[in-house]
Amino acid sequence: MFQYITKRILIFIPTLFVISLVTFMLSASVPGDPVEQMLGGGGAAGEIGQSSSKLASEKAYIEKRKQLGLDLPVFYFSLSNAATPDSLYKVYKRAYRENLEDLIHQYGNWPKIQKYYQAVQNLDLAVSDIKLDSQNGDAKIGMRDELYVLSTHANPLRIANSIGKMKKWMTIPSMEIVSKDFGKLLQSYSEMKDDPTTYKNYIPAIHFYGVHNQYHRWITKFAVGDFGISYQDGRPVKEAVWSAVGNTLFISIISIILTYLIAIPIGVFSAKNKGSIADQIVTTVLFILYSLPSFWVATLLITFLGGGDFLDWFPTYGLGNDFDTWGEKAMHYVLPLFCWTYAGLAFVSRQMRGAMINSLSQDYIRTSRAKGVTEGKVVWRHAFKNSLLPVITLFASVFPLAISGSIVLEIIFSIPGMGKLAFDALNARNYPVVFTVVMFSAIVTMLGYLVADICYALVDPRISYSSKKR
Amino acid sequence: MEPIQLKQDYWSYVKRQFKKNKRAVFSAWIVFILALVAIFADFIANEKPLAFKDQSGWHFPIVRAYGVDLGITKWPSGWTNIQWNNHHFEKVIYAPIPYSPTTQDYKNAQFTSPFGEQNISSKRWRHWLGTEALGRDVLAAMVHGTRIAFMVGLVSMFLATVIGIILGSLAGFFGDDRLKISRIGIIWTILLAIPAYFYAFQVRSYTLSEAIGNSFLDFAFQLLISFCILGLFGVLIYLLSKPFKKITWFAHQVNLPIDIIVQRLIEVLVSIPSLFLIIAIVAIAKPSIMLVMAVIGLTSWTEIARFIRAELLRVRNLEYIEAAHALGYSEIRTLFMHAIPNSISPVLITVAFGIASAILVEGYLSFIGIGIPPGTLTWGKLLSMSRSAPWWFAIAPGFAIFLMVTLFNLLGEGLTDALDPRQKK
Repeated sequence: MFQYITKRILIFIPTLFVISLVTFMLSASVPGDPVEQMLGGGGAAGEIGQSSSKLASEKAYIEKRKQLGLDLPVFYFSLSNAATPDSLYKVYKRAYRENLEDLIHQYGNWPKIQKYYQAVQNLDLAVSDIKLDSQNGDAKIGMRDELYVLSTHANPLRIANSIGKMKKWMTIPSMEIVSKDFGKLLQSYSEMKDDPTTYKNYIPAIHFYGVHNQYHRWITKFAVGDFGISYQDGRPVKEAVWSAVGNTLFISIISIILTYLIAIPIGVFSAKNKGSIADQIVTTVLFILYSLPSFWVATLLITFLGGGDFLDWFPTYGLGNDFDTWGEKAMHYVLPLFCWTYAGLAFVSRQMRGAMINSLSQDYIRTSRAKGVTEGKVVWRHAFKNSLLPVITLFASVFPLAISGSIVLEIIFSIPGMGKLAFDALNARNYPVVFTVVMFSAIVTMLGYLVADICYALVDPRISYSSKKR
Repeated sequence: MEPIQLKQDYWSYVKRQFKKNKRAVFSAWIVFILALVAIFADFIANEKPLAFKDQSGWHFPIVRAYGVDLGITKWPSGWTNIQWNNHHFEKVIYAPIPYSPTTQDYKNAQFTSPFGEQNISSKRWRHWLGTEALGRDVLAAMVHGTRIAFMVGLVSMFLATVIGIILGSLAGFFGDDRLKISRIGIIWTILLAIPAYFYAFQVRSYTLSEAIGNSFLDFAFQLLISFCILGLFGVLIYLLSKPFKKITWFAHQVNLPIDIIVQRLIEVLVSIPSLFLIIAIVAIAKPSIMLVMAVIGLTSWTEIARFIRAELLRVRNLEYIEAAHALGYSEIRTLFMHAIPNSISPVLITVAFGIASAILVEGYLSFIGIGIPPGTLTWGKLLSMSRSAPWWFAIAPGFAIFLMVTLFNLLGEGLTDALDPRQKK
């Protein structure tokens, strides 16, 4: 048995590895820039200042990026085309990087694209240093806006439009100072446009980056229990995740215990009275419960019992705070627990009924009835024990269901659990939290399966995991 | 019973068994009616009239709308500015519900109740299920939501079934020791895997992502091209391997443990609570119903694969498979022409339950507001609006999801009784 458990836990590792790869790769293709989000700034269009302040904000950006480890390449290697340089990841702003990728897709001549990109950046710096006077206010702001468009758009029509606008502003006398930079921009743009090497886009190229990459850094830290810091509030992810896992597990486990406590007697009862009116009513009600979407039930409960248009019996927000009495806290749990429990209840008792009917029709039941064993003993000692087996294995599917179901219910009832944490983090592009929650939910789910298999072996001595046969 | 009839008897037996289950037959009829509602949604709830008459005769704007969508015809110049609900026609026949799900009735906005007074000129224009915040008719949204629910259920389960049957049957039929591949084949596959991926997907990534934004058909077409490129690489591997097979070492056949590979894949997928995975993918990409369907399909094939695998493990030792071997049929032909067709019917059960859960998942996703583009009203989205609405608003969309899920669950039960006598108690 011990050997079996160790083996199972060892299998966790490759599975978790694959899951970590999937979640990480997903994040690599996400729109949005977490660094900018953390610094609370919008695009460069908002920064109408001197070049020194622009440089300062850029420095802050680069430092933050480094602190988050986002300045590293994403993975051990990357598959791209011959037109894309292997150092593209070093371009620090995500929007700029994506724009450069678009340009590469269009023209394929990296050295010229690089020159053009440099020219845009230089002109931007030069423009931001122009002293404001009575004539050039609009021109300066306009130039900065259009240069931001150039840094983030690759569409030739859009670029031509921006250049046209800028040419008009360049006629203002005080804009003279930047005319040299503007000339360079025009020249580099036409060079890039006139001499495309798009064929390079069709030649595959693999770049290797070694272990200095984001994935390696994250997974090695994760393995030793360092989950990084949250992008949203800068606190360690560990704190947020531990309390969330605790809340979700607490509610899930209580609801599963409730499920089994209620479902098993119901199942036994309706199997014992198979075909009676009571059984038919129970079966129908359970079937309806089984199909009722929990988010609908939760919405209705909140509307009708949680202070909507009707009764105001239960609080519907969160799990209460430290100042609440035990009674008040318990009230917070009533509606969520009900929603968590009823679907699983229907599921388990339907299975219990089926298993019970199956065992009651076996020969040994007839034998024991024939030899005069009391009905209660027949049902509980003989039939019940034997029908418990399939119901226990259900634990394996009830548990992940409870975890999965927690997402929507936690959002509806604003419960600070794993589901809500993951959802909020996803909306805020807070990847350290998302990764950690997904990994934890996978670990919890796999542990659930393991526990189910162990229970299976404990209940049925015929099942042995030590033999080679799976 | 005459043994001669046996051949055609399987399906008529199934039909007879299914008909015994009154609830399942009843559900099948309701599903049929709802499917009609989904197909003819445009004719049931539309702000455009079914037909109207002006100086130039009778016109059928809804039919015409299909033509415009397909690019066959264009709108007559005067029509684009017509306020359909507020226009004087010589003669006009309106749709039963004279609102599109996008029509905003400003006079009856802010959750006008279906029970109270409504600001309407006649009963013809009544909002039978009320309106939502912007004055869109709830009943019209419900009718068009039926179409989305069916689409999500059918498309995602189709995808899941295809993947599940292919992977499950490979795993079950070949096991770990029957799928053989020559050494040179493996070498070329490893060498060409990266270029194949590169030319099929990476080079075409711009085209593909553009197609996602365009339409379902466009994307399906572009994806098909990508898979054709992959297929070409398959042919290339075959052709390149041929000359090397004269050398014994290269021609040596190696076992491909396909069963282990598929089982591990299933294990990984099952270990992630699927809703977490779906939410992660959908939240990251641009909202589109197609993506939701694809992701649901890609995460729900495991059940079907397991089922088919178990079935084929049994079937592959039966006499008729041995007979096929003895006749010299190739493994692939035996698998696809004989083994799969004989073990596929019970998959219908899983599909029926799968449709129910796919509809539920779509409801979840639109309820928490991810995956469905803004402007599209689905049942789940209507339900999510009810959090800031009066009590009656939550009833209809929630009941619709419940009804759909129940119907398909009942169908699944009926099919279980009919198709899988071993499970019958």
